[in-house]
Amino acid sequence: MSEFDPIELELFKNIFVSISEEMGAVLERTALSPNIKERRDFSCALFNKKGETLAQGSHIPVHLGAMPLSVQASLKFIDFEDGDMVILNHPYKGGTHLPDLTCISPVFIKGKLCFFVANRAHHSDVGGMSPGSMPLADEIYQEGLIIPPVKLVRKGKLEPDLFHFILANVRTPEERKGDLMAQIAANHKGINRMKETVAKYGSQKTFQYASLIQDYTERILRQTIDQIPDGKYEFSDYLDDDGISQDPIEIGVKIIIQSDSSIIDFSSSSEQVRGGVNANSAVTYSAVLYVFRSLVNEDIPFNTGLLRPLNIIAPQGKVVNAQFPCATAGGNVETSQRIVDVLLGALHQAVPKKIPAASSGTMNNVTFGGLNPESKRPFAYYETIGGGMGAGFDYDGLSGVHTHMTNSLNTPIEAMENYLPLQIQKYSLRPHSGGHGKSRGGDGIVREYIFLVRTQISIISERRRFAPYGLQGGMSGKKGINMLIRADGTKIKLNSKVNIKAEPGDVLHIETPGGGGYGKKE
Amino acid sequence: MKKNIRIGIDTGGTFTDFILFANGTLHIKKIPSTPKDPSKAILQGLSSYLKDRPSLQIVHGTTVATNSLLQRTGKPIALLTTKGFEDVLFIGRQTRNQLYSLKGETKVPLLPSSHCIGLSERTSASGQVIKKISCEQIRKAVNTVKKCRAKAVAISFINSYANTENERAVHRAFENQGIHVSRSSQILPEYREFERTVVATVNAYLMPVISQYLDNLERKLNKVSLRIMQSNEGHISPETAKKEPIRTALSGPAGGVVAAYDLGKRTGYHQIVTFDMGGTSSDVSLIDGQIQRTHENKIGEFPIRLPIIDINTVGAGGGSIAYLDKGGSLRVGPQSAGADPGPACYGKGSHPTVTDANLVLGRLSAEHFLGGQMDIYPERSQEAVKKMGQRMHKSIWETAAGIIKVANANMSKAIRVISIERGIDVRQFVLFSFGGAGGMHAAEIASMLQIPTVLVPKNAGVFSSLGLLQADSIKDYSMTLLRTTDSSSIDSVLDQKFGELENKAQSEMNNEGFSLENMALEKYLDLRYYGQSFEITVPYRKNSDHLNEFHKIHERIYSYSHPDRLVEIVNIRLKAMGITQKVQLKKISKAGSSPDKARLTKQNIYYKGKQEQAVIYDRSFLKPGNRIFGPALVVDTESTTFIPSDFRSEIDPYLNIVLSGKEETRV
Repeated sequence: MSEFDPIELELFKNIFVSISEEMGAVLERTALSPNIKERRDFSCALFNKKGETLAQGSHIPVHLGAMPLSVQASLKFIDFEDGDMVILNHPYKGGTHLPDLTCISPVFIKGKLCFFVANRAHHSDVGGMSPGSMPLADEIYQEGLIIPPVKLVRKGKLEPDLFHFILANVRTPEERKGDLMAQIAANHKGINRMKETVAKYGSQKTFQYASLIQDYTERILRQTIDQIPDGKYEFSDYLDDDGISQDPIEIGVKIIIQSDSSIIDFSSSSEQVRGGVNANSAVTYSAVLYVFRSLVNEDIPFNTGLLRPLNIIAPQGKVVNAQFPCATAGGNVETSQRIVDVLLGALHQAVPKKIPAASSGTMNNVTFGGLNPESKRPFAYYETIGGGMGAGFDYDGLSGVHTHMTNSLNTPIEAMENYLPLQIQKYSLRPHSGGHGKSRGGDGIVREYIFLVRTQISIISERRRFAPYGLQGGMSGKKGINMLIRADGTKIKLNSKVNIKAEPGDVLHIETPGGGGYGKKE
Repeated sequence: MKKNIRIGIDTGGTFTDFILFANGTLHIKKIPSTPKDPSKAILQGLSSYLKDRPSLQIVHGTTVATNSLLQRTGKPIALLTTKGFEDVLFIGRQTRNQLYSLKGETKVPLLPSSHCIGLSERTSASGQVIKKISCEQIRKAVNTVKKCRAKAVAISFINSYANTENERAVHRAFENQGIHVSRSSQILPEYREFERTVVATVNAYLMPVISQYLDNLERKLNKVSLRIMQSNEGHISPETAKKEPIRTALSGPAGGVVAAYDLGKRTGYHQIVTFDMGGTSSDVSLIDGQIQRTHENKIGEFPIRLPIIDINTVGAGGGSIAYLDKGGSLRVGPQSAGADPGPACYGKGSHPTVTDANLVLGRLSAEHFLGGQMDIYPERSQEAVKKMGQRMHKSIWETAAGIIKVANANMSKAIRVISIERGIDVRQFVLFSFGGAGGMHAAEIASMLQIPTVLVPKNAGVFSSLGLLQADSIKDYSMTLLRTTDSSSIDSVLDQKFGELENKAQSEMNNEGFSLENMALEKYLDLRYYGQSFEITVPYRKNSDHLNEFHKIHERIYSYSHPDRLVEIVNIRLKAMGITQKVQLKKISKAGSSPDKARLTKQNIYYKGKQEQAVIYDRSFLKPGNRIFGPALVVDTESTTFIPSDFRSEIDPYLNIVLSGKEETRV
């Protein structure tokens, strides 16, 4: 065990974690789009100068493994100077999917690059073929504006040309502007707090504990893995389709547990596909980290220490490590959930009492937009809908919640109706959608939108063909349903992934999947 | 003129505190609480005064509402919603509390889903009634609620904040049915359906409980003047408390802040950090000219968007348990040894706690612990701390100092969150430290935050109940506007809407027994940049420059502002105060600077890596003007104050201990 003082360790742990949380508070409270401020679809973190995470605010798990790769990618392309801030969303250069804009700032102390702070927020539009930038595309160029790592702020000064260029390529520039200002403010908070910390404790001690906090997290994860019986555990499950063809896509994993470390091998997964459900390696890393972090009962900082006991094998060109220029909009939100499902399915064989049945396994991404005839201005909106949580050995799954890779809030109906030309007609739990069993899976959600103007809709959802699995004899959760009900009452069943236009008076009806049950019902 | 006896009664989990003011003096009494029927302890404590009934004026802080909510001991209730939204409480904000728990927390709902009844009606976001509620729907509602045997019903329809018509139609139908009604557009006419429904439903849940409790108490007290403390720093009549019991649900720590505010006014301190450290947790809040309030609170899992004192609670107190976690980090709390088994030194438990660390370091005197009324086993503290130290390869003193350091870091972080993180520089503030354990930590916490002065008030152990006697009567009103400040005729809209609130406030305060001359009204606007989701509350007067104020505060908190950006008025707020007479604390004239008459003994202490000898003083013998230089301990029956070697202190005319750093040249 490396030399450390348990008292200092605790103090520094709290400092690093609270800095990332303070950054999050600034971002949440000053952002403009509901997606950031109401749904909290963002993450903030601190890094050492190599781009390894020290601490990340508990925000959205799917950003977790991906953020350090953003910093590392910009280190490759950018020569950082004091006062710079880099922006990026390029999924093959440090991003995940295009709507996630990541802002990275170096922390210089006495002229030396010492740390990074960064935040990532899901913007409700970054251009592309459909409002909300979560389209059904077959190449990344259709999905929106691609931003490789570039300096949006240079030596403390905003680059106005680049800023205008970005804003000219999105549907709701005012909102993007406000959100980006909030992202800049959040990084400022982080930089100042890091500088204060170094001023107070000295750079040597701060560096020392920045490294010790990673060892700390690693130590606890190793102890946790050590408790899992050694062995090989395999599992596979399917994504419904990629939205272009109807072929199911397999995600397969083999987990090898060897004392206090693990190999996670995705070699048996499908090749990358045409439609936008491809995950880059950042998404796959995030899912693996989430699952192993969830095995730990203690409250530990989320950082690079988690990666050290894990050897992740995701061959290039597989759907879990897609290569440029594959479309990726849904990889982050949907494929990540299925990766979690297969990881848990495999681990269930090792520690059956600890691992629950499948949760709803989809974020039910609904994006829409159009032109508001009253204000003559475009609108764009993105949201996700929760579902049922999988049941465990001795507990029922929760109903109507976000599970695993996301935990974003819903937007209040009264906020939506104030701001968008639509009405919500129904928002309720979906009875009997959770799988039966000794323990019951949680129920999904029913949500109905009435559109008041012509609206372009994109849906990226999953578990419409393959249901969330039950375990130990428990039934699977009910599959989801997407439907458009025309103003004249005609019902049109929609695929799991679809682009469609709604006319005034049309109703979009969505039922989200329930969670799987656990154990045979007596 | 007849003389009044004013009594503050604060019902806590273990003790019911009485603070009585008569003929210019304060008297304090503690009686063990009677949780099954809290009025028993109250009657017992009051027995000797009840003969003077007409002259008694009681202000009561109660935990009946909070406990009933947390323990789910309420009666069946029902909820009426817009059809299609019956599950609004169950879905909530669609999130789980713990990100990395595969299990998800268990929720115990306030009512079964079969008691949530959807009615066919609808109002648009702009306040237009799209579907008027029919008589048939109303009849159905009344019948179903009766079938549920509900004692109270909450009504919360979509967009009812914009137009109350449909909600009111249903409300009327329940009058004279013997069922309590809690209407969302009445108690919280603000947008966001989940939060508004929670407030209406929690209020409904508490109505039968509080009505029964207060009816019983009023009957027993028989014609004694009774006021009920709320969480917003003011009290209300029992009648109002029965209608809006939710406003009493967080009243616990409010008293201490009110008492600090009042004492601050008398002693000339207007910028105060209050620090109330108890056995399991610490409550901190800020007074910056006035008591700071917030609308974002939680009781258990329920978000309560009503204005209350902005108090931040952290799970660090005297009983907080210290341990080495799996990764070898020294943690303190939030688990607490409570009163049973209590800290290791109580003789039952074996885990080291913050109190044990204080005892090891000599910052507590075993002999004078709680006035010497309790048996203390310092050797058990030694043993517990030593054992932990061996695992860390540290001496017993280093270990104890580490426990205190981590606990202090947790508490100063709680203060940071409500001050520095909001752009407020606390280096100009005074730390008011009270509660049983505060005095042992206050000096070090002040140093960590660079707060120059600490005040430990007289009666620090029962300071919260003193606040009951210093509070005004307060009622809060609000209304969602959702209009930008550039919209046409905004000034006349504000006049009209504030006018409506003022009329309501004046008539209700009148019913509370306050005439216009004893009434003060304060107006506020909740503002945000158009498109944001979080509001900043700024004071409003006609023709005041509230926009400028908003930009300034935004800049202070978030380090940027956009004076040219459009601003939206989300809510208007009115705070109505009925001014009551305050207790006049006696000022005592100065004696000499020598505290020798209070000197008891000496004791070894450990501070900043060194062993020192501290003098112990008996607080009850200290006189204004007495000066004590650290290292010293000041003990009284409820609390201990630690004056470290780099601090000095002086007793002020109200018998408060005022500490400051030695390098300071304060006289």
